[in-house]
Amino acid sequence: MALGTKNFLIQPLKVYFLSFLFTGLVLLLFLNWSLYNEGQKIQQTVHKQAQVEAKKEMTAIFKKTLSELRHSLKALSEWDEVHQQLEDSSYYFYWHDDRLKESQYFNKHYDQVEIYNRQKTLLAPSSLEKISHKTLPLTIRSLTPTIVLTKNRETHLNLFEPIYSRSTEQILGYIGVSLDLLPYLQDENTFYHVDKRTLSFSGKGDIPLSQIMEQVRYQPIANPVTDYLWQLIQKFILQLIILLLVTSILLSMIFNKLFYHPLEIISQYLNRLKINPKEPQQLPQKTFYLREFQELQASIHNYHRDLQVTQQALDNQNQTVWDQARRDVLTNIYNRRAFDEAWNELLMNLPHDKVSTGFMLFDCDFFKALNDTYGHEIGDKVIRTCALTIQQALPMDCPPYRIGGDEFAVILQNKNIEQIIAVAEKCLHALRNYNFSSIGIKEKLSFSVGISYVSPGESTDFTNDIASLPRQADIAMYKAKQSHQDKVQCYHHQLESQAHALVSNETVNTVVNAIHTGENIEMHFQPIQSIKTGAVYFESLIRIQNNNKLIYPNDIFAVVQRRRLEVELDTQVIQAILRMVIAGKLPKETGVAINISGKTLLQPGFTSLFADFIPYLKSFKVVIEVTENILIDHMEYAQTVLNELRQQGFLIALDDFGSGYSSIRYLAHMPVDIIKFDMSMTHALKADHKTKNIIKSTAEMVLRSGYDLVMEGIEDQEMYDNAQEAGATHLQGYLLGKPNITPTLPKHG
Amino acid sequence: MKLHWFTKQLPYIALFLLVATFQAKAGNVVHTISALNIKADAEFVEGDADKTAVLILHGFLTTNRFHTVLAMAQALQSEGYTTLTPTLTLNIPQRQNPLKCNSIHTHTLERDVIEMTEWIQYLHDKGYQKIVLLGHSSGSQELIELLNNHHDLGIKAAIFTSLFYLTGEEVGIQPNEVHFAQQALKEHRNQLYNYSFLFCKGNYYATPKSFLSYLKLNRPYILDSLKNLTIPSYTIMGELDKRYQTVGNDWLNALDKTGTHLTTIGGANHFFSSEHEFDLHDVLIQIMQNL
Repeated sequence: MALGTKNFLIQPLKVYFLSFLFTGLVLLLFLNWSLYNEGQKIQQTVHKQAQVEAKKEMTAIFKKTLSELRHSLKALSEWDEVHQQLEDSSYYFYWHDDRLKESQYFNKHYDQVEIYNRQKTLLAPSSLEKISHKTLPLTIRSLTPTIVLTKNRETHLNLFEPIYSRSTEQILGYIGVSLDLLPYLQDENTFYHVDKRTLSFSGKGDIPLSQIMEQVRYQPIANPVTDYLWQLIQKFILQLIILLLVTSILLSMIFNKLFYHPLEIISQYLNRLKINPKEPQQLPQKTFYLREFQELQASIHNYHRDLQVTQQALDNQNQTVWDQARRDVLTNIYNRRAFDEAWNELLMNLPHDKVSTGFMLFDCDFFKALNDTYGHEIGDKVIRTCALTIQQALPMDCPPYRIGGDEFAVILQNKNIEQIIAVAEKCLHALRNYNFSSIGIKEKLSFSVGISYVSPGESTDFTNDIASLPRQADIAMYKAKQSHQDKVQCYHHQLESQAHALVSNETVNTVVNAIHTGENIEMHFQPIQSIKTGAVYFESLIRIQNNNKLIYPNDIFAVVQRRRLEVELDTQVIQAILRMVIAGKLPKETGVAINISGKTLLQPGFTSLFADFIPYLKSFKVVIEVTENILIDHMEYAQTVLNELRQQGFLIALDDFGSGYSSIRYLAHMPVDIIKFDMSMTHALKADHKTKNIIKSTAEMVLRSGYDLVMEGIEDQEMYDNAQEAGATHLQGYLLGKPNITPTLPKHG
Repeated sequence: MKLHWFTKQLPYIALFLLVATFQAKAGNVVHTISALNIKADAEFVEGDADKTAVLILHGFLTTNRFHTVLAMAQALQSEGYTTLTPTLTLNIPQRQNPLKCNSIHTHTLERDVIEMTEWIQYLHDKGYQKIVLLGHSSGSQELIELLNNHHDLGIKAAIFTSLFYLTGEEVGIQPNEVHFAQQALKEHRNQLYNYSFLFCKGNYYATPKSFLSYLKLNRPYILDSLKNLTIPSYTIMGELDKRYQTVGNDWLNALDKTGTHLTTIGGANHFFSSEHEFDLHDVLIQIMQNL
């Protein structure tokens, strides 16, 4: 969630700027709107107050008007000449039309002034022909002040006042006035709150003056201050909005010019650098107004330039390191790692790059013996010479790889088998013709070449066939090693058949299955007895059950070696023996010897395979038998591993001593406790005197070195005696006991 | 202490009592002129019972509140004389204010005389047997007309102030207007018309009858009537009355020759304004005291 929020917050600068700009604009517009709204409210309040004041003023003006008119009418009613007309109306029309209008009692807004007698009848209509235009009645119906609204939108106020006798309260008559109300109001009053120009009256007919407020229409005087203030506010808001918009546009432009555009250019520049980090990128030819951006651009450019220089140096160093890591120090050709990478790359490219591929393995026959005989220095020279010779004989695009001590591999593509064989022959020819005596080798060296090949057109499962090439080349090389004449062997299925020929397919399947599952493995034990103490321990020998028949080691190891299943087999054997030890199926106070292949010894977890035996070591002897070839090839590593086991209480036996090309000089440093003479050496005790003496001397050397000496292959009493005479400490053979599924103590003794 | 205070306040107390007495007997009188059936107002202030009553008549179109009239009345009242200052109705019941030139004038000299006659009778009815008539301006002429026509009113004497005459081209009367009025009257056309009369120059709005009735009071008529009066008459004139410019500077001589007791107050105008008012009053009081 937090990560999601953070991701959401990661937006382009323009988005943030526009968001801030938009938010700012909205806030300021909202402020404007609020100000405008408040201004409107004030305006409305002022308007309402003006309406109230106007109404008050109108009410007061009507009241004042009525009062003034009554006062004027009262004065008029008391005027001598009114009384004169009541006394004698003979000249009423003259008085009415002329005299009255010249008098001080007449108001210009009087539309009509009439005198009525005490019967409320008009004293004498002055202009009968114009009576229709008059608003005063011929007879007074009511003395209530009345508004007369005419059709031509004139508004008259009719007022009547009794005329009293001067000496009594007797009513002599009435004076009536019809006033043109609107101009009167406008001329005779000072308005402070009402716009007198807007004064008007609605309706028609006669209505009492008391209802005048319902008929009058008017507008309050526009308050110049508030109106001006409102205009100022509106102007201010408009100006503010324009200012905001202009400022926003300017800000956007400035932002764009100062920040966004430079950042965009720098970003594009960085992107170009990112896409093509190793290519020099031209500095954008833009001038930024902000010095920081200018400096930033220059810094990035300089930094990238420096980075490129550094990168180049690093690349060179990496190339050197990479090269060194993939170069064999001794031969300066590609090593095992380079081979693995090249091979993996080839496999990875297979789906897209299906081409004919050949695999070639070179091996120097008996190199280890050569090494032991002439020493490492000469051995290394041989290796260097071989590598150089092979490299020179190979095509340019086919580098050799040193994948083992004296083993070289070559991968060849887009060549047919004939071409590949020709290459191999060329290399072999070069090796054969090389003068090895120049480096101190006196005998002739031989080399074996194994070739495997696959072509897309001939393969139904090209990928799998390609993956099988190293194994097939190995098989072919094995075949070549076995031959003295045909030192170049191409793999073909018949080779595998030949390997299988020793064992049937059924046997192969049974062996492989047993090795993978542990089923049908049956351990047999042959006693090894101490001549001195008679103590016995048993060498474990594997058998595999197959339909009530046993498969023996020769067949088993034929399959194992062809299929490189040494580690799996040893693991199953160790587990089987452990189960028997735990189950107490081995006699007490005895021991067991377990044969271990060289491949297993070199496994990283080798010592842990025996960890579960440790609790039994106090009362049980466990001997781990290894061949001398392994020890000699990997002396240093073997010493470390085997000494660790020795410290834990295991005993180490060197098996088949004398069967190979072993050097006596290694004997003193062997990380072993027991030396087992090969059966051929035991049998040689029966040979000539000279041979017998050599064996006796060798035995004596072994014994003097502090090792126990086991002689195996003791089949009769003579061999028993010879072995005892030669100095053997332990004997093993049919005389003492054949291998048996049940560990059986020897009868001889 | 108290006696001293009382002595000091005595003049004020006397004045208060005098004013109180005066106030008690003063008042507006409404009197119906029975012969005309019209009510008329007068100011009646009762003076000492043993002193003469003075009837004061105002000038042309004015009322009894005209300042010269009021001043003369008050001067007489202050001397204990009973005064009656009526306002001629001029055909307006209880007329309160002076009439304007352009007011409708239907009144006549005859009606004015009738009204004066009844006011004299009013005084008689009040028990006053010695009555002095005092007129100002045209009021003096109307009193002369009254005295011409009524010799049995028991009038003790007559005092005329600013006495002139009304008719004559020299006083602004237009002969054609007179002729017009006479013709209209003859033809019983009694419509109103603007005349020139006294200070009303062309705007005296009157009926022919009304206009013509006053034209009787011409120069010879006044002088003759004055000469023929059966009662003592006193005439008080202002030395600087502008009307001498129209009637001629010999007017005073003419008056003097009528046998009236002529008194000319130096520097006084037609209305005896300002300090000459007191001169007038002094003369009046002196005349009244000598009667």
